[in-house]
Amino acid sequence: MGSMNKFINNRPHKKIDYSNYYFILPAFLFYIIFVLYPLADTFYTSFTQWSGIGEKKWVGLENYYNNLNDVKIISSIKHSFILIIFYSFFPIIIGLAIAGIMVRVKVKGIAFYRAILFLPQILSMIVVGIAWRWIYAPKGPLNTGLDFLGLDNWSRAWLGSFDFALPFVGLIGTWVMFGFAMILFIAGVQKIPTELYDAAKVDGAGPFAEFFNVTLPALKGEIIVALVFTVTLALRNFDLIYITTGGGPGTSTMIPSMFIYKKAFQMNQVGSASSLGIMLTLLIFTLISLILITLREKK
Amino acid sequence: MKKLMIFITLILTVFTFNIKAETLRILAEAGDEATLTIAAAQFEESNPGVTIEASYLGWDDFMATIKLKLADNNPPDLAHGNQGFTVDGTLIQNGLVIPLDEYADQYGWKNLFAEGSLAEFSWSDDGSTWGSGSLYGISPVAEDVIVYYNKDKLKSLGLSVPSNFAEFENALSVSNNAGELPIILGGADGWPIIHVWGLIEGAFVEPEQVRSWIFNAKGTEFKTSSRMKAAKKLEEMATAGYFGSDSLGIGYDDANAMFINGDGVFNLTGTWMTAQLNEGMGDNVGAFAMPRNSSGVAGGGSFALPWHISSKSSNPDLAAKFLDHLMSNDFVDDLMEIGRVPAQAPTINPTSKLQAEVISASNALVGANAKTFYTDWSTPGMYDTVTQELQKLIGGAASADNFMDAMAAESIK
Repeated sequence: MGSMNKFINNRPHKKIDYSNYYFILPAFLFYIIFVLYPLADTFYTSFTQWSGIGEKKWVGLENYYNNLNDVKIISSIKHSFILIIFYSFFPIIIGLAIAGIMVRVKVKGIAFYRAILFLPQILSMIVVGIAWRWIYAPKGPLNTGLDFLGLDNWSRAWLGSFDFALPFVGLIGTWVMFGFAMILFIAGVQKIPTELYDAAKVDGAGPFAEFFNVTLPALKGEIIVALVFTVTLALRNFDLIYITTGGGPGTSTMIPSMFIYKKAFQMNQVGSASSLGIMLTLLIFTLISLILITLREKK
Repeated sequence: MKKLMIFITLILTVFTFNIKAETLRILAEAGDEATLTIAAAQFEESNPGVTIEASYLGWDDFMATIKLKLADNNPPDLAHGNQGFTVDGTLIQNGLVIPLDEYADQYGWKNLFAEGSLAEFSWSDDGSTWGSGSLYGISPVAEDVIVYYNKDKLKSLGLSVPSNFAEFENALSVSNNAGELPIILGGADGWPIIHVWGLIEGAFVEPEQVRSWIFNAKGTEFKTSSRMKAAKKLEEMATAGYFGSDSLGIGYDDANAMFINGDGVFNLTGTWMTAQLNEGMGDNVGAFAMPRNSSGVAGGGSFALPWHISSKSSNPDLAAKFLDHLMSNDFVDDLMEIGRVPAQAPTINPTSKLQAEVISASNALVGANAKTFYTDWSTPGMYDTVTQELQKLIGGAASADNFMDAMAAESIK
């Protein structure tokens, strides 16, 4: 590094030393090649009709217009919003509950349980999907368990059911995401000054009052992070649906990202797929902005 | 030492002058790996200096990338496509593959099959119309959708192999009443239901009419009264519980494993399953072509995936020569030994009882000119539509009328 310092020091003095920017240049080049350029290209392609090879034909806003008038696409967006409940709200509620309990109760070997509960988060979605497909299978552990409990009437092909497939895929998302929320909140709880809890106790607060008056307000920042992360995942999720149901039965678990894949790789409609991709990006951007604007700290 | 070096150099020089080193690059769908491994070894032996480099991709990956691979500046010389506008049509429209008529005449491929049976490989040169025109692909393998059955179960139910559709329906009803699952179906994957639909459709609609619709879905009426009958029949079968209550939660591989383990009296699937079912069930599995409602047989089916020669291939003659090896009469027996169903009549005895029955079912379909291809070939969006609508029909979420309306709407898109 010595020679590098010499190099920098020998440069004539300017108001801003641009040489520092050289250090981000390699990373920025990668960012341009692998993020900004594809994004710009997708944006351009979204105004064209293109089979994936050959010439792109300019069609203006036609792809966007057709997407907005496609009932299947609109219903797939509704499915995404239902999945937000499972991918985002449930994990955050469970994570908060666990964090709240851990504040009050000292459990032996807590690090072990924390690691176990966090495990789903580090598994590949493909592995998770295949495992849960097996759990939900007609003769899988879930149905075997129900039969064992004498609840034979309840057992069914969960992922093959028009009524249950979507919520049951959603529950897999809850299982995957709650560990993430929990770790985030436990870390947040640890930075709350213990004096606050002592003061709450002196004021005669029970566990619930303590949670709502001390823990919850202090975790606002972490909740925003968890919301942004999980809502984004709920909307752009692809692998879990692809592995478990493929959007079926019928279109009951179809989500926009499945349509993007099908249009681009099965139907020769890369232009239309691109426009749907841009729409999905805008939707995520809008929702995240709303979350940040509504929940940010008021000065 | 010096002498040895001179000797080696001499030998190498002789070989280099005598034999032109050539490489043939092949990209295939993974189902062809066993076939190609044998064919490549034979071809390399009889053509010294030729090296075959074959690579394989599983179905989903293959279909998602084949167009891009052939559009590349350095594409494989020989590659699979897929019948229909989605893959083959797009390849021809963009000039990525060459017509094979010259090679077909040179090697006599057209004489191997009945008049008109290569229609699924025939296209106008701009790739806009399908079913006639130049020959753009060829395949040595036939794949048909037929009915496999559990022999013990059929016997213990007091049934025999049905000879018309009414008898088949009766067998389903008897199985159901006896507490057996009549038809095992891996409906979670969607596409296996296309094969079931193909058989029911074939039982009611003239095969010629089905093919015309697939070649030209936009210009051919889908909602005919005979097809309506077929849709109603499928709805009736689903309502009667002939596919069980869990079929939409079972994948294709699981369904076949369950059939091997004794679930289901009938299994409506393709001849590509022959080797696997024979290995799992031995003499307990039989096969027949689906009998039609009136008379004769019908069923989904076609040649296997077409082979195409890239328009950028530096050595199309060598690629065609290899294709001719695949199409040759000698190779038919090798196909039989791997358990595949050759498109040409085999010269050796079947390797198993099941293969014998499968080949006779396949011959019956060829003889009656009753192969009806696959519904999803018809339009690029049809795969999605037909799998979704069939899942709804099987799962009771839509009626036969809903199904026919959705299909007709997709046909004219």
